[in-house]
Amino acid sequence: MSNPENRHRHLLLLLSVFVIATCGLIYELVAGTLASYLLGDSVTQFSTIIGVYLFSMGIGSWLSKYLDGNLLKWFIRIEILVGLVGGCSAPLLFVLFEYAASFRLVLYTLVSLTGILVGLEIPLLMRILENQLTFKDLVSRVFTFDYIGALLASLIFPLVLVPYLGLIRTSLFFGLLNIAVAGFLLHQFADTKPYRRSLVSILALSSLLLLSGFVYAERIMTYTENLTFQDKVIYSKSTSYQRIVLTANPRELRLFLNGNLQFSSADEYRYHEALVHPALQALPKANRVLVLGGGDGLAVREILKYPQIQSVTLVDLDAGMTDLFRQNDLLVKLNNRSLHSSKVRIINTDAYNFVRQDTARYDLIVVDFPDPSNYSIGKLYSTAFYRELNRLMRPGGLAVVQSTSPYIARQSFWCIRNTIAASGFQTIPYHAYIPSFGEWGYVLLLRNQHWRGDGPLPAGLRFINARTIHDMLNFPPDMAEVPTEINKLNNQVLVHYFEDDWTPYAH
Amino acid sequence: MTGRPTPTDPPESPGRRQFLEQAAGLGFSVLLAGSAGLNACQSSASIAHIKGGMIGANHQTGHLLRYPEKLPQPTQTRETDVLIVGGGIAGLSARRWLWQQGKRDVLLVELSGQLGGNSVGGQNTVSAYPWGAHYLPIPDPRNRELVDFLKECHAITGFDANALPVYNDYYLCHDPEERLFINGHWQEGLVPDVGISDDDRQQISRFFKLVEELKQAKGSDGRDAFAIPLDRSSTDIIYRQLDGISFETYLNQHQFTSPYLRWFLEYGCKDDYGTTLANTSAWAGLHYFASRKGVAANAGANSVLTWPEGNSFLVKQLEQQAQSAIESNKLVFGIQENAEGVRVTCYDVLKKETVAIQARTVLLATPQFITQNLLKNRVASGFQYAPWLVANLTVSVLPQSRGMPLCWDNVIYNSASVGYVTATHQHLNASDQKVITVYWPLVQEPPDVARRKAYETTYATWLSRLVAELETAHPGVTEYISAADCWVWGHGMIAPTPGFIWEESRRNAARSVNNKLFFAHSDLSGISIFEEAFYQGIRAATEILAQIPSA
Ligand SMILES: Cc1cc2nc3c(=O)[nH]c(=O)nc-3n(C[C@H](O)[C@H](O)[C@H](O)COP(=O)(O)OP(=O)(O)OC[C@H]3O[C@@H](n4cnc5c(N)ncnc54)[C@H](O)[C@@H]3O)c2cc1C
Repeated sequence: MSNPENRHRHLLLLLSVFVIATCGLIYELVAGTLASYLLGDSVTQFSTIIGVYLFSMGIGSWLSKYLDGNLLKWFIRIEILVGLVGGCSAPLLFVLFEYAASFRLVLYTLVSLTGILVGLEIPLLMRILENQLTFKDLVSRVFTFDYIGALLASLIFPLVLVPYLGLIRTSLFFGLLNIAVAGFLLHQFADTKPYRRSLVSILALSSLLLLSGFVYAERIMTYTENLTFQDKVIYSKSTSYQRIVLTANPRELRLFLNGNLQFSSADEYRYHEALVHPALQALPKANRVLVLGGGDGLAVREILKYPQIQSVTLVDLDAGMTDLFRQNDLLVKLNNRSLHSSKVRIINTDAYNFVRQDTARYDLIVVDFPDPSNYSIGKLYSTAFYRELNRLMRPGGLAVVQSTSPYIARQSFWCIRNTIAASGFQTIPYHAYIPSFGEWGYVLLLRNQHWRGDGPLPAGLRFINARTIHDMLNFPPDMAEVPTEINKLNNQVLVHYFEDDWTPYAH
Repeated sequence: MTGRPTPTDPPESPGRRQFLEQAAGLGFSVLLAGSAGLNACQSSASIAHIKGGMIGANHQTGHLLRYPEKLPQPTQTRETDVLIVGGGIAGLSARRWLWQQGKRDVLLVELSGQLGGNSVGGQNTVSAYPWGAHYLPIPDPRNRELVDFLKECHAITGFDANALPVYNDYYLCHDPEERLFINGHWQEGLVPDVGISDDDRQQISRFFKLVEELKQAKGSDGRDAFAIPLDRSSTDIIYRQLDGISFETYLNQHQFTSPYLRWFLEYGCKDDYGTTLANTSAWAGLHYFASRKGVAANAGANSVLTWPEGNSFLVKQLEQQAQSAIESNKLVFGIQENAEGVRVTCYDVLKKETVAIQARTVLLATPQFITQNLLKNRVASGFQYAPWLVANLTVSVLPQSRGMPLCWDNVIYNSASVGYVTATHQHLNASDQKVITVYWPLVQEPPDVARRKAYETTYATWLSRLVAELETAHPGVTEYISAADCWVWGHGMIAPTPGFIWEESRRNAARSVNNKLFFAHSDLSGISIFEEAFYQGIRAATEILAQIPSA
């Protein structure tokens, strides 16, 4: 039974066991890591991924009995498939994360597919070897190699692979190893001759695919740059309007909407204090406030520091945002339960429609919309929109508009200011430095009224005081006023300025 | 939410994102389906998910007119001073004018369930949309009647220090307005620019210089060469003789040979008249460009007013600016003069019974191909109508390569349709779902042949044509179309064929009969645009007021 020819043969096959066991575990680890990286909550992610993976392997093992005929040929084919599916899993998941309607479905489909294929491998190999070893030898050797492979995988994955190769390259690399096993067996076993040709070309194509993925891994990462958060993702959700991602490190929380940073808990107080206090310190009698955008409740937190405020109406399109900032403990702490205040009414609707239909009047309107990066947001910065605000303001009332960066988007900032001025307001432009964003701009809207920056401020502010307000009014030459056109619904010049301003920063 | 991108994180370009979405989707489906799924995209099965059908069965009601003897005898007789037949723009405009001049005993009957005629609109869960007319260029301020009407609609909100009208920002077409898909690229504006030669460019600018001159030109009678309403144009033979030749001949005579320029001009003829260069009169072809003399305090000369529901916005305004009676679902099928005035028989399409209406005066605000069936011994010669297909599609994504993003008006160079208008463009809120209205003049064959074929064409066939048309500029759009409805306008627009506008038969058809029968319809102007229908209504109403003592 153990002639040298056969010995050689089963040693090779056992070596394959070792390699495929390593690969199999690596795919599982890659999926688990990716899931917790992208979806957060690593315990749940890891545990469900491992469960589904093992169960799928069970399905694979069960299915193996339906494979008959030339078992070696089956095995080689399955190796190629494992290599392709497992190898591509990480890049695919990365790319699809943002675009797939149901990312979990994609994730678990891929995990099951890999699991089933991997589950087929060992039973098939055992059947190939069954006539060459006694049963006890067969079982003991196959599983020994299997578990050694697993140990190796679990050690090199965190210590070598993730830090040096990254997830995408790791998965592609092990895909290549699976395919190498297929190639090796094809080469070593004479009985593969009849079908060698056809399999070799498939093999070559698959390796080429994986190799090019390996070479272009950086590119794949930049495609998915929105997802390469530096920090740990602790929450993520796709609402019908946007993708919300929250990341954390020991120093700060960061909120991303569609990959754009919204705030960092380390310095958002600067942004929100600057947004609210220059207006409210000048309105000691204010009691009704309207906030447009700002579903994070952070501007509301600042507003509620004034005891005279009786009601705050918060209009934000996305219930997913306002719910998150009412429910998540960390965020509720950050906004100081502002969205739970009995003074606050939350309305989830489109701000433009709301403003056109609303009949209430306000002492202060805080406008905190996304930057005018497309035509539909551009409408919220038009003369027509500001005229609607005018209608909603009580006599003596004020409004304030976040107005993008006067340093980076200088034309855009002054276009917003000039548009407001053309809509029947006096304006007071100002700016503040927010480390996470850089210089940021705001415009205060007044109607024939006096404004001073030395009114009463609530206690405990960290950024705004009378001196800061005074300093914020000064625009150094590199941010100084530039002439612009007026943004109207029928010209939308602001969107063009904004595109112009940001082009030098696009890579 | 502030959504501010940071310097390392540039604002995302929608083009790139859409491309990625597509690429990713494609990659994944290939992975799952393997080679078997690849060829399936083009097959007809891929339109099965699109819901909709043919809308607008008015021509069937209209066909009842062919056999009036089959309709029931009247069961009752009613009386009115003035009866207006037809609730299109012309009829509604006449009703409004009569009301404003104190004429109250007026009844308007309309065969369809909905007022508006060729300016009706529809509505689904995503948006209101037009089925026909969808915009109005800002008018020449000398068109006083129209300016007054727009004031009453709050489309004009005031006048600036120079007496220039200030238009309502919500009704002026929002930016970005127009784009053209040409040489594989979406360019801004409809005049071809991408990939054209210097000679083309020169011819195009020569043409527009000519148009500028014609805009200013006055005839020997001191009137504008080209005016709206067109009856106010100069009678000077220098200009009027242009009506005798085709626009094509005119362009040949003036060495306008550039295929790009000629495409653009033919697009204009198709879009405004439903005709080709060869069967449009040169006068009408030039009128399209040289009659637009709008000015505004807050908009450019070529600005247009538009609404998600199209000109049915104006229909509603016309309706609301008068209170006299309106009855819809009423088909007028017989008209007889008698001693007291006119006796009209009218079939109630819903109740399936006939009423007789005794009126002192009747205004027929119906197109002449119908009017000639209603009156004995009347032939409307020279009146030719262009058939159209209009479709409203609900889409979530319009995949496209780089170039100008979605505009209000979107035209595909050298294609059969005249493109599509985005009904949701004037919405103020952002939404993924859009409704687009595709306009398709059926000019390939003579109107009567095209009309018959259009009525016979099934929904499935229209749908596959529409999808093929859109796919040329938006590869992969089919799967994103969730609904599509189609409407065939058998007699969509009066065709200003050479000689039609300034020859006798048009003016004869507008002439009142025995001071009892009056006529108003855009086809009496020879071109079908809102302004002409509006004017015809006022003209006829004025004639009526001159005949009968005011009440
Ligand atoms: C596809 C398409 C797109 C267009 N786009 C534009 C555009 O963007 N801008 C523009 O200005 N113009 C456009 N037009 C032109 C449009 O036709 C005119 O603006 C205007 O609507 C014409 O109005 P009208 O009153 O002259 O005629 P119609 O709309 O034809 O009105 C006649 C009315 O009489 C009714 N009627 C007919 N017979 C009878 C009967 N026996 N008894 C009772 N009622 C009867 C009809 O139902 C109809 O309501 C478009 C036309 C089409 C077909």
